[in-house]
Amino acid sequence: MQVFNIPRAIKQNSNFTFCPGCDHGVAIRLVAQIIDELKLQEKTIAVASSGCSVLLYDFLDVDCIESPHGRACAVATGIKRAHRALNNDRFVFTYQGDGDFASIGLAESMHSALRGENITAICINNTNYGMTGGQLGPTTTMGQITTTSPDGRNAHYHGFPIKTAEQIALCEGTSFSARAALYDVKNILSTKNIIKKAFQYQIEGLGFSFVEILSSCPTNWKLSPKDSHLKIQNELTKVYPLGIFKDVKND
Amino acid sequence: MSYIKLNKNKCKSCYLCIDACPKNLIKKSNEIGQTGEYTVEFKDDENLCLGCGVCAVVCPEIAITEVYKDE
Repeated sequence: MQVFNIPRAIKQNSNFTFCPGCDHGVAIRLVAQIIDELKLQEKTIAVASSGCSVLLYDFLDVDCIESPHGRACAVATGIKRAHRALNNDRFVFTYQGDGDFASIGLAESMHSALRGENITAICINNTNYGMTGGQLGPTTTMGQITTTSPDGRNAHYHGFPIKTAEQIALCEGTSFSARAALYDVKNILSTKNIIKKAFQYQIEGLGFSFVEILSSCPTNWKLSPKDSHLKIQNELTKVYPLGIFKDVKND
Repeated sequence: MSYIKLNKNKCKSCYLCIDACPKNLIKKSNEIGQTGEYTVEFKDDENLCLGCGVCAVVCPEIAITEVYKDE
């Protein structure tokens, strides 16, 4: 009995272009598996952003659009509303990094949540600007060394990191906000359930659904893939606790 | 018989599957892969593979393309 194969929503002859050990590949595979399970491939429009997630359209076999840096939620809003006006409802989700979602596009992201736009946002949090070489980002943890904070992040000079999932959970238009991680098998499988729930909330029309995923960046953290996962398990989950912060069905 | 199919051309030698396999059936091979490091190989001479698919779950490159489980 076949228990695993390449999801149909992944382009069969494409290879991921991420660094070795990067969790982006796992996250994209999970999204593709859920698109398969919910039979959404024909009616999905994915919105990619700038950052390591920029090449999403090379891997996902669904309709994709590239948004300006940080504006993925605004672009997704337009797509969703325009198709709804034509009575041709589409499943729209954004796939962004933490720099894109929580720094450059914070206004677009936050106001999409406040308006309760019926879209899903997936934010990959690797605590730096990975594609441009590991600069200090909005989610860089206190004391973390990056190329633009060689002595480590300090509160006096750089301020404090943003806890995106908690902030989005405070918005009244949000239907679902959760944080998940990809450092071991158990968490990968629970991340899949969380993304699936977020997708189902959009299908049911409940409002803005959001998943923040703690992901490793072995190249810029200068750690092996295994040690990167240990760092997430031992350090990052203490700063960014995992869990569901808002769920309109259970609140 | 449970087994996996592994595409060495996709392997980027992160070795996450080596740590994940509960039966230690995945090891470094002698072939150099696309990143200049040794790729991994699957060797199961004694039919120990459980077909649990854990290796496929952790692989970021979908280099483990198929997993078959004995019924």
